[in-house]
Amino acid sequence: MSGGLRALARPIVDENPITLQILGICSALAVTRRLDTALLMGASLIAVVALSNAAIAAIRHQVPRSIRLIVQITIIASLVTVVDQLLRAFAWELSRQLSIFVGLIITNCIVLGRAEGFAMSHGVRASFLDGIGNGLGYALVLACVGAVRELGGSGSLLGVSILPLQEHGGWYVPMGLLLLPPSAFFLLGALVWAVRSWRPEQVEAAEPLPAAAAPASGRG
Amino acid sequence: MAAEADRTNPEAPAAEPGAARTLAIAFAVCAGCAALVSASVVLLRPLQLANQRGAREARVRSLVEGVPGLSEWGTGAGGATFELRAVDLATGGYASDADPEALLRGEGEGPPGEALPPDQDPAGVGRVPRSAPVFELRRAGRLHTVILPVHGRGYVSQIRGYLAVAGDGNTIRGITISEHQETPGLGAEIERPEWQQRWQGKRLRDEEDRVRIRVVRDATSADSAEAAFEVQGISGATRTGDGVSELVRFWVGSKGFGPYLARLREGGDR
Amino acid sequence: MSDTVQIFVRAAFVENLALSFFLGMCFFLAVSRRVETALGCGAAVLGVQTFTVPLNQLIHARLLRPGALAWAGLPEVDLSYLGLLSYIGVIAASVQILEMVVERFFPALFRRLGIYLPLLTVNCAILGGSLFTVERAYGFGEAAVYGFGSGFGWALAICMLAGVREKLAYADPPEGLRGLGLCFLVAGLLSLGFLGFAGIELR
Repeated sequence: MSGGLRALARPIVDENPITLQILGICSALAVTRRLDTALLMGASLIAVVALSNAAIAAIRHQVPRSIRLIVQITIIASLVTVVDQLLRAFAWELSRQLSIFVGLIITNCIVLGRAEGFAMSHGVRASFLDGIGNGLGYALVLACVGAVRELGGSGSLLGVSILPLQEHGGWYVPMGLLLLPPSAFFLLGALVWAVRSWRPEQVEAAEPLPAAAAPASGRG
Repeated sequence: MAAEADRTNPEAPAAEPGAARTLAIAFAVCAGCAALVSASVVLLRPLQLANQRGAREARVRSLVEGVPGLSEWGTGAGGATFELRAVDLATGGYASDADPEALLRGEGEGPPGEALPPDQDPAGVGRVPRSAPVFELRRAGRLHTVILPVHGRGYVSQIRGYLAVAGDGNTIRGITISEHQETPGLGAEIERPEWQQRWQGKRLRDEEDRVRIRVVRDATSADSAEAAFEVQGISGATRTGDGVSELVRFWVGSKGFGPYLARLREGGDR
Repeated sequence: MSDTVQIFVRAAFVENLALSFFLGMCFFLAVSRRVETALGCGAAVLGVQTFTVPLNQLIHARLLRPGALAWAGLPEVDLSYLGLLSYIGVIAASVQILEMVVERFFPALFRRLGIYLPLLTVNCAILGGSLFTVERAYGFGEAAVYGFGSGFGWALAICMLAGVREKLAYADPPEGLRGLGLCFLVAGLLSLGFLGFAGIELR
């Protein structure tokens, strides 16, 4: 019982997939211009990773080693297709905003990483909870970045105006940079900094400096 | 299942099965996934089509209601009708073999239409289809307004929108922008009603039938002869404004809806 | 001809997959510590992209698009929902083939790339390139140019970032920023720089 709960809780901060494991960043950035798309993306990923983890864990003893990667990808791609269809059916306008990024969940490192790294060697229930935990960690980061970008860039949250914009008679002049791609990089960098200052054990070890005169060795 | 670790201890991997079993598993996975995907698509398709249509109608309706004198179209009051037709672009007449719903969704035309060489394509339209959808609004049998879907290249993205033209084929009733990825705060202002209202009442062509409508940086004074063809642009967003200008000029020109609008101007009402 | 150049310039610079759309970043950040590794990875992505993007465009245009199966007498059928599965399947197969080719003909490169070669299958940039091609309804020729251009742009971005990161080994940042955090900031600055390409047209 507590093992499952720990599997759920651990990825949210201690092993947050983005800040520590450098995973799943791609789609994290492009959809965070608004909070509603960021939340929808987070929810989609939670669904996919939890269900794919469960499915893969269910058949993990049957799948031969030689084809396991392609089997995982097939299952994940099918689930993503189903989620994409569901989004188009129930959240049409938002899904158009998400454009190709729902499809890119297939290649999201978190999903495949957990499938290979956890679901192939644990039971269905633990894998499902692990999936939800990792998905929540990802969704949390997305929500943070999305909230900052929408609030700072448009003065609103979820479409509701919080900081009245100057062109509507208010006082707030929006920070246009937050609506452009580089801001997402900066925000993630700041977030990583904040998390690692809070949890110093996550700080990376300093890289050994390359020897001054020796030619750089071709390390893979 | 054998004694599993429900905790977080990994287990030992299973033994490697033979080729036949591998194939069987692969086939089973494929079949299962195919069933899942196909079932969801079949079940959800009607809902999706309804949504697409609903979103598009809401978009067109908001255009219609935003234009003075058109706000009652939504209710169908006063004998007002709202119809989607397919128009053959080259002749300007109706295309009886094309399905307007499919055209609006961007399908049903077979291979995309002829590609335009860059020097004939200032609007960055790319390919012009043979037929295009139009919305026709009639009141008491007379054509009141037509709504033309338009698109073209803006500063950094494709801009899509709808242009509402009066039944005379020359006066603009309004414009709305449905899709773009222009710079927030600058080019993105084209999606604001305040900017779109500047198009109301402008004319497309002059007495010599030349396309004169365009977006300008400094509009001449309101009472000059030029003013009827000029739309004031957005400062700091010249390129986006130029993009909208070019795409409107393209679609009301001879390669777009020009022939269709010419028929309206001649008074041919069907 | 200028159309081709236009698509290439847009794919490689204005809409750089890594710096404008953040695609392939996991890879990017994990791989870009040394320039040689980045060069090898970039070349691999360029190869896979140039091959898979036009191939996926063909599959979409001839098999999956609504009305595409008219040549088989089934004009009503719309198989576009199979898109995701098909594209990733093609990519996985292409990467497998590339792996075998590289192992056979470029063994040194194969050893250097190590695990990153099979991981190309799940590189968002590769799938993203195919998805964009389909979304924008490119023709076959345009798709080929786009595949090459986008792969080139991604490779360029990753090599630039690797170059900067090599120099950053001498930097003395706050501990929390070391490594990943600083890498994000640098990537953000590169992205800001690439924004300057927006609106470029070659006529």
